[in-house]
Amino acid sequence: MIDQYVESISTFSGDIDNVIWVVFLIVGFWFVLAELVFFGLIFKFLAKPGVKAKYVSGERPEEKRWVTLPHYATLAFDVAIIVLAIKVWHDVKIDLPKADSTVRVISQQWAWTFVHPGPDNQLDTPDDITTVDELHVEKDKTYHFELTSRDVLHSFSVPVFRLKQDAIPGRIIKGWFKATQTGQYDIQCTEICGIGHGIMPARIIIESPAQHRTWNQSNAPKVADAAPTTPPTQLGGMP
Amino acid sequence: MHRLMSVSLAFAIVASFGCIRPEGAKKTLAGSELYAACASCHGEAGAGNASIAAPNIAGLPAWYVEAQLVKYRSGIRGYHPEDIEGLRMRPMSRQMMDEAEVKAVAAYVSSLKAVKAAPSVQGGDATAGAGQYATCQACHGDKGQGMDATKAPPLAGQYDWYLVSQLKKFKGGVRGAHPLDTTGAQMRPMASMLADEQAMKNVVAHIGTFSR
Ligand code: HEC
Ligand code: HEC
Ligand SMILES: [Cu+2]
Repeated sequence: MIDQYVESISTFSGDIDNVIWVVFLIVGFWFVLAELVFFGLIFKFLAKPGVKAKYVSGERPEEKRWVTLPHYATLAFDVAIIVLAIKVWHDVKIDLPKADSTVRVISQQWAWTFVHPGPDNQLDTPDDITTVDELHVEKDKTYHFELTSRDVLHSFSVPVFRLKQDAIPGRIIKGWFKATQTGQYDIQCTEICGIGHGIMPARIIIESPAQHRTWNQSNAPKVADAAPTTPPTQLGGMP
Repeated sequence: MHRLMSVSLAFAIVASFGCIRPEGAKKTLAGSELYAACASCHGEAGAGNASIAAPNIAGLPAWYVEAQLVKYRSGIRGYHPEDIEGLRMRPMSRQMMDEAEVKAVAAYVSSLKAVKAAPSVQGGDATAGAGQYATCQACHGDKGQGMDATKAPPLAGQYDWYLVSQLKKFKGGVRGAHPLDTTGAQMRPMASMLADEQAMKNVVAHIGTFSR
C-alpha cells in the first residue's frame, strides 16, 4: 500500500512500512471508535423539549470507566508498538550486518559528496571514485556508509530505502542498506540546513553487478592523477 | 450552522484553485525580485560576505555574471568535490527558472553600484606583485578593470581573500578544469605560473591598489 506511493526497495523498507501500518491501524481503530462514541453521545443527548441539562462531574466509577479503560488500552498498545519498533530499530540502526562494501557520504551546504571504494573495493586507496550528488551502488550487496558533515546538521534520506540518518559535524556515523532492485532514485536532505536545504537533492543509482563493474572501471582515476585523500580544507572565506 | 459549513466549503474550493497555475500565468520575475534569493549571502548591495565566502559581485559586467551563472547551473563551475564554496553557490544558481531569468538577475547585479572591498589578507607585497601583474594585464586590463574581448572579469575592488582562493582553485584544478570550461582553461595556466601562495598574495596585493 505505502509502496504504491514510494517504492520499497531495501531489505528493511518492508519492516518499516509494517511498523507504520501497525501504528496506523491501532491509532485508526481508536480514532474511529472515539469519534463514534463522541458523535453518538452528542446525538443521543441532543436538547429535547422538557428535559433539563445536567452537570456530570464524572467521579462515579461507572463514569470514570470511560476514561480509565481507554487509558489502560492506550498504554498496552503503546508497549506493543514500542516492542515492535525497537526490534526494527535494532535491525536497521544498531545491528550492522557484515558489509560487502563501504561508501563515504559527505554532506555540506548544499551538496552530497560520495566516495566509492572503486575497483579494489577499499576506501582510501588511489582508485577511489569521488562524485557529487550521485551515489552508485550495486543491487543485493550490503553497504555500510560512513556519514559525515563538513558544516552543519544534515540528514541523509533515501525514501525508497526508508532510510534516514542525521549527519553531525565532527562525527562519523555508520549505517547500512541493501538494495533489492536496480534503478535511479532520490536522495534528499531531511534536516533544515540553511537556505539551500530544499535544493540539495542527489540521486542513488542502483546497478546490476555487470553495470557496476563497468561504472567502476570507467570512472576509477588512473593511479597517477588520483586525487589526494586528505580531507579538503576551506579555501574561501576569511583566512 | 449551515452558513458556517457553506462558507468553509467555499473556502476549500477556492483554496484548491490556488494550486493550479494556467500556462499563460507563467512570467519571468524581474531582476530585483530574483535578487532577493541572492541578497542573504551577497548582500542587498552585492558587496559580498566574507563569513560565508560570498564574493563582491556589485557592478560586475552582466556578461560575466551570466556566464558564471550558466557555468554553475550546468555543472562546469562549482562541481568539484573539493570546491566547498562553489558547491554552495551551485544550487543558488539553479533557482532561476530559465535563461530569461538568468539574464534578468545578471543585469540587476551589474546595475548595482560597484564598491571596493576592504583588504584583509596579510603579508602581500604589492611592489613585488606589480611585476607578476604584467602577465595578467593582457586579459584583465592595466587597472584590473576587466575586458569584454578576453572574457576576463574585473578584479579591481574584489575581496583579496576571494582572489587568492580562486587562484588556488584554478591552480589546483578545482575551477576551470572542466572540459567545457573554455574561459576557465585560459585562466588555469596563468594561476599555475604563480609559484606559491606568497606569489598569489603579492599579485593580489597589487590588484588591491587599483581603484574601482
Ligand atoms: C548561500 C550563499 C549564496 C547565495 C544565496 C548566492 N550566492 Fe553567489 N556565491 C556564493 C559563494 C560562496 C560564491 C563563491 C564561490 C566560489 O568560491 O567559487 C559565489 C559566487 C558567485 C558568483 C561568481 C562571482 C565571480 O566573481 O566569479 C556570482 C556571479 C554569483 N555568486 C551570483 C549569485 C546570484 C546572482 C545569486 C542569486 C541568484 C547568488 N549568487 C546567490 C554564495 C551565494
Ligand atoms: C589569457 C587571458 C588571461 C590572463 C593572462 C589572466 N587571466 Fe585571469 N581570467 C581570465 C578569464 C577568461 C577569466 C574568467 C574565467 C571564467 O570564466 O571562469 C579569469 C578569471 C580570473 C579570476 C577569477 C575572478 C572571479 O571573479 O572569480 C582571477 C582571480 C584571475 N583571473 C586572476 C588573474 C591573475 C592574477 C592573472 C595574472 C597572473 C590572470 N588572471 C591572468 C583570463 C586571463
Ligand atoms: Cu542539508
